[in-house]
Amino acid sequence: MFVENKEKILVIIPAYNEEGSIGKVIEEVRDQVPEADILVVNDGSTDATGNVAKEQRVLILEHPYNMGIGATMQTGFLLALRNSYDIAAQVDGDGQHDPQYLNKLMVPILTGEVDLVIGSRYLEEKGAKSSVPRRIGTRFLSILNYILTGQRVTDPTSGFRAINKKVIDFFSKEYPSDYPEAESLILLHKKGYTFKEVPAPMRKRQGGVSSIHFLSSIYYMVKVTLSMMIGSLKEI
Amino acid sequence: MSLSRVQVFAIIGCVFLIILLLELIRRNYLKERYSLLWLVTGGIFLILSLAIESLGRIAHFIGFQVVSNALFLAGIIFLVVIALGTTIAISRLSERNKRLTQEVVLLKKRIEDLEKVQSDSNHKK
Repeated sequence: MFVENKEKILVIIPAYNEEGSIGKVIEEVRDQVPEADILVVNDGSTDATGNVAKEQRVLILEHPYNMGIGATMQTGFLLALRNSYDIAAQVDGDGQHDPQYLNKLMVPILTGEVDLVIGSRYLEEKGAKSSVPRRIGTRFLSILNYILTGQRVTDPTSGFRAINKKVIDFFSKEYPSDYPEAESLILLHKKGYTFKEVPAPMRKRQGGVSSIHFLSSIYYMVKVTLSMMIGSLKEI
Repeated sequence: MSLSRVQVFAIIGCVFLIILLLELIRRNYLKERYSLLWLVTGGIFLILSLAIESLGRIAHFIGFQVVSNALFLAGIIFLVVIALGTTIAISRLSERNKRLTQEVVLLKKRIEDLEKVQSDSNHKK
């Protein structure tokens, strides 16, 4: 895979209490994309996440309190915008996203093919298997996404993503707060930006606890469904 | 025009509410923009209690059997509008609070970077 050196790349790692996994994630990202700057946005962690990141000599932004994944990513996008990065990629701090796919993720951005690329865990039958209810839920959101945008996306809630400069600019102004991934696709579609998926099998979590528990998964589905439908009606 | 006892109490209540609102605005406990709806409502209630017969006529015109039901409904509508207005205000505030926090986070980072550059150049001297 080729990655041209002249593009300024920022890999944003949102982290909330990921002291067990973030160190390894940073190392792997650095191995895979040595030319990229790495930014950890510590979303008010109560554990040693911030200190672990500091030992790794990366860029760090510390939220004074927990603000949620949407605001955390947006803080990263703001830094990317102000420091005129050409590409921003998101890799979660829990180790589920495998940084070896980062370069593949960025290729369609570098060639100017699309404005946002999603790393999908369902395009290829590899990697950690999701549970059946999770697959059904994703399938449903994928169909809803197709209805609202006319585009097929197998993994609309995946946070493993790369975006170009135009989308950095847009997201730093407009990015949903909770469970932002699926709704952000709707907003992009409304603004006329394009997106596509590349296969990116997920790994099992290396540490921490998933933010989506069994009981809250119903709430999750309702919230994401509503936010997608409202998102498609929003004035932006 | 003679006032009934209910009317007297209603008028006293409305006047008290309006005075309280004005005092709260004067002491900066209430922002004008948020208190406007309260003042308008206080004014409407005052007018209605002064002209209680027209209130009865309006209620019967709409189809209420009992005048007090019309008052209850009006009160509930008023509360819903106030609650909605408050939620809108909170939403706007939380959006601004988020952006403000993000700016502070970025500024803090810039200050730390600048301090590092400065202390590095001091060491060289």
